[in-house]
Amino acid sequence: MSDVRGTSDEEVPVTADPGETPAGTTGAGMADLTLDAKVAAADVPPELLAQSLGQYFRAWWLRVRSGNSGVLPVVLGIVVVAVSFQIANSKFLSAQNLVNLFEQSTVYMLLAIGEIFALLLGEIDLSVGLVMGLGSVVVAELVQPTGADWPWWAAIIATLLACSAVGAIQGSLVARLKMPSFIVTLGGLLILEGVAILVLGGTLVGIGNSQYSNEVVLYDIFWGTFNPVVGWILMAVLVGAAGTGLWLREASKRRHGLETPPRSLTAMKIVLMAVAGIAVVAICNVNRAHSGTIEGVPYIIAIVLVVLAAWTVLLQRTRFGRYVYAIGGNPEAARRAGVSLPAVRTWGFVLAALTSGIAGVLFASWQVSLTTNIIKASNSYVLLAVAAAVIGGTSLFGGRGKTIHGVLGGLVIGGIYNGLYLLGVSSQWIDVAVAAVLLAAALVDVLSRRGAPGQT
Amino acid sequence: MTADPGETPAGTAGDGMADLTLDAKVAAADVPPELVAQSLGQYLRAWWLQVRSGNSGVLPVVLAIVIVAVVFEAVTPEHAFLRPSNLVYIFGLSTVYMVLAMAETVVLLLAEVDLSVGAVALIGGVIAFKLVQQPGPDWPWWAAVLAALACCGVIGALQGTLTALLRIPSFVVTLGGFLLFSGILIVILGGADASVNLNSSVTNQRVIYDMVQGLIAPIVGWIILAVVVVAVGTALWLRSAARRRQGLVAPPLSLTAIRIALVAIVGVAVVIICTVNRGTSLVTVAGVPWVIPIVLVVLGAWTLVLQRTRFGRYIYAIGGNPEAARRAGVSLPAIRTWAFALCSATAGLGGILLGSFFYGEYSTNTADPGQLVLYSIAAAVIGGVSLFGGRGKAIHGVLGGLLIGGIAYGVSLLNLGELATPLEYILPGGVLLAAVLIDVLSRRGAGSVTHV
Repeated sequence: MSDVRGTSDEEVPVTADPGETPAGTTGAGMADLTLDAKVAAADVPPELLAQSLGQYFRAWWLRVRSGNSGVLPVVLGIVVVAVSFQIANSKFLSAQNLVNLFEQSTVYMLLAIGEIFALLLGEIDLSVGLVMGLGSVVVAELVQPTGADWPWWAAIIATLLACSAVGAIQGSLVARLKMPSFIVTLGGLLILEGVAILVLGGTLVGIGNSQYSNEVVLYDIFWGTFNPVVGWILMAVLVGAAGTGLWLREASKRRHGLETPPRSLTAMKIVLMAVAGIAVVAICNVNRAHSGTIEGVPYIIAIVLVVLAAWTVLLQRTRFGRYVYAIGGNPEAARRAGVSLPAVRTWGFVLAALTSGIAGVLFASWQVSLTTNIIKASNSYVLLAVAAAVIGGTSLFGGRGKTIHGVLGGLVIGGIYNGLYLLGVSSQWIDVAVAAVLLAAALVDVLSRRGAPGQT
Repeated sequence: MTADPGETPAGTAGDGMADLTLDAKVAAADVPPELVAQSLGQYLRAWWLQVRSGNSGVLPVVLAIVIVAVVFEAVTPEHAFLRPSNLVYIFGLSTVYMVLAMAETVVLLLAEVDLSVGAVALIGGVIAFKLVQQPGPDWPWWAAVLAALACCGVIGALQGTLTALLRIPSFVVTLGGFLLFSGILIVILGGADASVNLNSSVTNQRVIYDMVQGLIAPIVGWIILAVVVVAVGTALWLRSAARRRQGLVAPPLSLTAIRIALVAIVGVAVVIICTVNRGTSLVTVAGVPWVIPIVLVVLGAWTLVLQRTRFGRYIYAIGGNPEAARRAGVSLPAIRTWAFALCSATAGLGGILLGSFFYGEYSTNTADPGQLVLYSIAAAVIGGVSLFGGRGKAIHGVLGGLLIGGIAYGVSLLNLGELATPLEYILPGGVLLAAVLIDVLSRRGAGSVTHV
């Protein structure tokens, strides 16, 4: 909701003030609206205008057509990717490959979520890939029994703090000294690459030794799974909690006489959540091993969900989040409204680096052993992170995007990599495909901004 | 603007800088010192005023090169950094950064960025190398080089069109281009394990093979130097004489003389360094490598295009203020598209020189396109090209590239063991941040000038 406020152009005359006359506007039927009102209606979240499910869908479609397409393109993209790869190779949608695909996408998802903090502010962070690389090396080095030998939790906390500090330094340079974020993070990327190789010490560091409990915990972060029964229970608790929360919030809004979406819509959302949850757990609980047993929901699904939920709440429900959208939409207006640009920008970069640090812990766990070459390769992840965020629907021009976009965009990229790999396509053509998708997403972004009200 | 350079330069400068009010001083800082100065002392004072107000030009990068040279000479084992053999090698190593930085400069001047130069450069190199293969297409070397540059130019034009016409941010277009062409590069090369080699015993291929490492005989080197210095000197002298004859503002004669002398001294120094025997007492290796005149030609061409043509003026105009340029009748899409095309073509030449530097071998390990582009942008910015558009010259790319190459080679000389690889990243990164900090701070100083 606040993202709409952030992107809505102040010049647009909002004739349909959602606070006062929503029923009147929608009651007249969309076909009777003048163009101005249509444009204004397209700028208002459909929940606020619609009293019934049918009206909701009509209002939503109007919004999509006017450029606020939200997650629709990326969801369509995921469907296209899934259907076409399934036709090409019937293994693509097998339980085993779906879990595999999610595992491959995790790092892209988290990096894209980190990148979204920078993109929302109208900045760019080129260093997320190497913050991840640095984080992975630090966490792996800290638990080495022959070295620092820290407990796993201390190592993870120290890693996240170190990554956040990197973000704070880069953010301060951008926010306080007004250096372009593009160059600060480019320089940061080079320096971090050196520092990561330095920390690595020129050799290999691994966390795959099952004799040391700290390494085992780190290893299990990526590769461990919930017991199938625990998976079902967790899913039930989660869906129950989220559903109850959603329902109660709507009920309380309705009691206070605030605008609320129709009940049927809320019910549908809860049902969708439950169906998605059941599908995920059911797929993950299939035995994926060729011999023996590998089953259960991987921990990383829970980790991604936690990060997604935490950052969504931060961006959508807190003052900080509103400020981020405000700065991305119009920094000068935000400044005049009393928002401290340097502080919010610096925190944006800190959060980007922190999220990349989480990705770094997962990356160390995923790769099991880290070498100089893996660290060097981690700098190309930033390109995929930006690509994932933009493909997911986050605007490059600031002020428009949500954390969910990073998750969906990461899934598209992971899906393309996984699917083309299954088909035996060599890596260079996979890069070509990702580039094409990125350009298409950017084109959609540019064209939809052109179509958005007030932008012409 | 009390000091209008076209009307009252003598009056302004004649009063002496000390007498100027702050306003006039600020205005003078915005005018090239040649225009306000009538004598050498005045020129130097005006220049210093310019430097202090943020228009420091090549001064920081020249200072940085001197510092890097002195420091590495002091700390390298046996003080080997400034040996002729190393200096020549550093120039060869820096070539690709210099040429790519010049390419990037053109785009940066428009306040755009091209992240694909590294991948495009490698594509250009591989195309040229493939086309002279025998058995194979066996094209004459010049046709292969031209075809490679044309292919790269078309790539640049495509990216430029997406940026200029659709206004997709150049950052994203060229990010996609980077991924796309890194993939296509491997396809053209024929697979991730493939490589393409030049056969140095075939005359046609030998030309490309020798572009960087090939040597001009010492005597020929001296003759070329003499011709170049005389030509440049005459041109400089005649131009300032012509300006003076027509009553235009011209730099003082002594300044022109000093410039010509500087060109001659630098030229003589380069030829002397290159003429020292770099081989052993048995095998003589001496002479100016071909890459030096090649880089000079590229530098000269880009300097002419940017400083003396309408296209160049339009680039600066768009970089300075696109809306003002548009209202003045400049076709933004056309200029932007051409700038990207020429940037990519120049990058293609850089790629050919890169392959030549590596003894005519191209494989996927030759260079990492991502690192190439990062280093090129770093080189341009370190050299003094502004990221905000409208400020920079081709020479900045050359000097920045030299600095990056010098740092990279100096670190490798130090026998640091484990520390060497990290420093290869940390030093350019640190220098880049320092350069941008200077750019930003000097713009802050310059910004106050324009707003006075």
